[in-house]
Amino acid sequence: MNRDSIDMLNDSTFVENAMVNEHDSSAHTATVRNFQSPKLRVENLDFHYGKFQALHGISMDIPEKKVTAFIGPSGCGKSTLLRIFNRIYELYPDQRSSGRVLLDGDNILSRDQDLNRLRAKVGMVFQKPTPFPMSVYDNIAFGLRLYERLSRTRMNDRVEWALKKAALWDEVKDKLHQIGTQLSGGQQQRLCIARGIAVKPEVLLFDEPASELDPISTLKIEELVSELKDDYTIVIVTHNMQQAARVSDYTALMYLGKLVEYSDTNTLFTNPGKKQTEDYITGRYG
Amino acid sequence: MKLTGELDLNSPVSSHSVALNLRKGERLDVLFRGSALFSALLVFVIIVAIVVSLVIGAWPALQKFGFGFLTSSQWNPVTQQFGALVAIFGTLVTSAIALLIAIPVSFGIALFITQLAPTWLKHPVGVAVELLAAIPSIIYGMWGLFVFVPLFADYAQPWITDHLGDWPVLGMLFQGPPMGIGMFTAGLILAIMILPFIAAIMRDVFEVVPVTLKESAYALGATTWEVTWHIVLPYTRVGVAGGIMLGLGRALGETMAVTFVIGNAHKISGSLFMPGSTISSTLANEFTEAVEKLYSSSLIALGLILFLITFVILALAKLMLMHLAAREGTRS
Repeated sequence: MNRDSIDMLNDSTFVENAMVNEHDSSAHTATVRNFQSPKLRVENLDFHYGKFQALHGISMDIPEKKVTAFIGPSGCGKSTLLRIFNRIYELYPDQRSSGRVLLDGDNILSRDQDLNRLRAKVGMVFQKPTPFPMSVYDNIAFGLRLYERLSRTRMNDRVEWALKKAALWDEVKDKLHQIGTQLSGGQQQRLCIARGIAVKPEVLLFDEPASELDPISTLKIEELVSELKDDYTIVIVTHNMQQAARVSDYTALMYLGKLVEYSDTNTLFTNPGKKQTEDYITGRYG
Repeated sequence: MKLTGELDLNSPVSSHSVALNLRKGERLDVLFRGSALFSALLVFVIIVAIVVSLVIGAWPALQKFGFGFLTSSQWNPVTQQFGALVAIFGTLVTSAIALLIAIPVSFGIALFITQLAPTWLKHPVGVAVELLAAIPSIIYGMWGLFVFVPLFADYAQPWITDHLGDWPVLGMLFQGPPMGIGMFTAGLILAIMILPFIAAIMRDVFEVVPVTLKESAYALGATTWEVTWHIVLPYTRVGVAGGIMLGLGRALGETMAVTFVIGNAHKISGSLFMPGSTISSTLANEFTEAVEKLYSSSLIALGLILFLITFVILALAKLMLMHLAAREGTRS
């Protein structure tokens, strides 16, 4: 549990109001926090895989430079939601969204949104470590070369900076030119995080980043997430409730494509506003 | 636990029947292992048998001409002077042209099918490419000679000679009368023939690239081209090289289609528009006439050389890939 989330409760930068979800008022009410200047604002978001509707009228705000966790049973739509934030779902023609997602006030779902620019701002780390088939150094430099022309020394600096930021530098500084797939699973995942950080995004999306790692590597990733929130807005999807409780400032519980409850992590886990949330976090379903 | 049924599941299986089953299994296992070993060894036996018979058949020619057989461009059945240089040259040049054309086109096809094509178009294009592979080589030869060659002679060749013929060095490759037949035409037909093999293998290996790997590159903001060039291609390097080698192997040995369009002249020419011959076209054309021992022995020697060329190229490709893999592991 985070030390500053208690303070956040009294913080004047946001107003908590139990709001009826407009889109789906009869089915459930979600506690939506309205932050004064959210990094991401989701408004009435629906999502379809072909004919199957995976998200139903999601509305919520995601605060800047905090860790927001999404929990819920498999298939609840939490990863789907995450994949909307960088529009990676657009790779698949039968997937579509409607509604609005505002990044700093700009609707990223609008047609004229430049996808490459969006993805430069919103980085993503996947469930499975996915080092590219190239050296450790080039894994980081790859993303940089897409956006910037850097001199050799500045490139070196930037790679070192990203690796240090991802707490990987000490382990790989002597094998920068080995192929990235030869690192251990945990190192690979931190390499992917470093790769994401290197292009200096504003938001980092984590899709169950530790679910395939051993406990020690998991711990390292979690520590890293906590450190990174000083600089980045972090959204993390996890099926591990303890993990959400450990790393996040805010937690959202999703079920069957709907937002059940969203509040600061402490409240959600210790004093949930809904019976459904209480049942889930005490393990009665899911 | 008490079972009431007739069958008592809790009673141990009789040790006798277990032993019986085990013995039966062991016998089968030995049989299976033996037959697998036999199949594997059979490959070696066949290769060795082919090499041995080629060497025996080629021996008179090799004895007579020695190393000069490789370097002489003489091929004269009347004076009984034989050298392989023209055929080796033709084989290598036509195959090189074929690869030069087929590799980029195959890459484009595979890229289109796996990364760009809308779902409804993927399958038809894939099937069309496979059908290209199903056309017998004699059909390519006939089509090449009766349809492609006249068109090429009337339209493409004069244009190429006009526009590229004046270039220094490069222009020399495109000189000569517009006959339509020749080494360039043979290479072009070969390219069409090997294209489906290379494209099919490239497509298959592109498809096995993990989705998450591609997604993570897209998530960094890479374009489809950047993902394909920097992620998909390096990831599938071995498979792609394998596909190219398969195509090259086919191009080197392809006989009928080449024989139809290459012109079958035993002459080395600087221009690609001039007729030439390949090892396989020479073999196909001349075995029926080769009544003298030295003549047929020379033809067999050509076959042996073709075998060696294919073998060396495949070996080099394997070495290259091993070297690449090793370098990635240790470079620091």
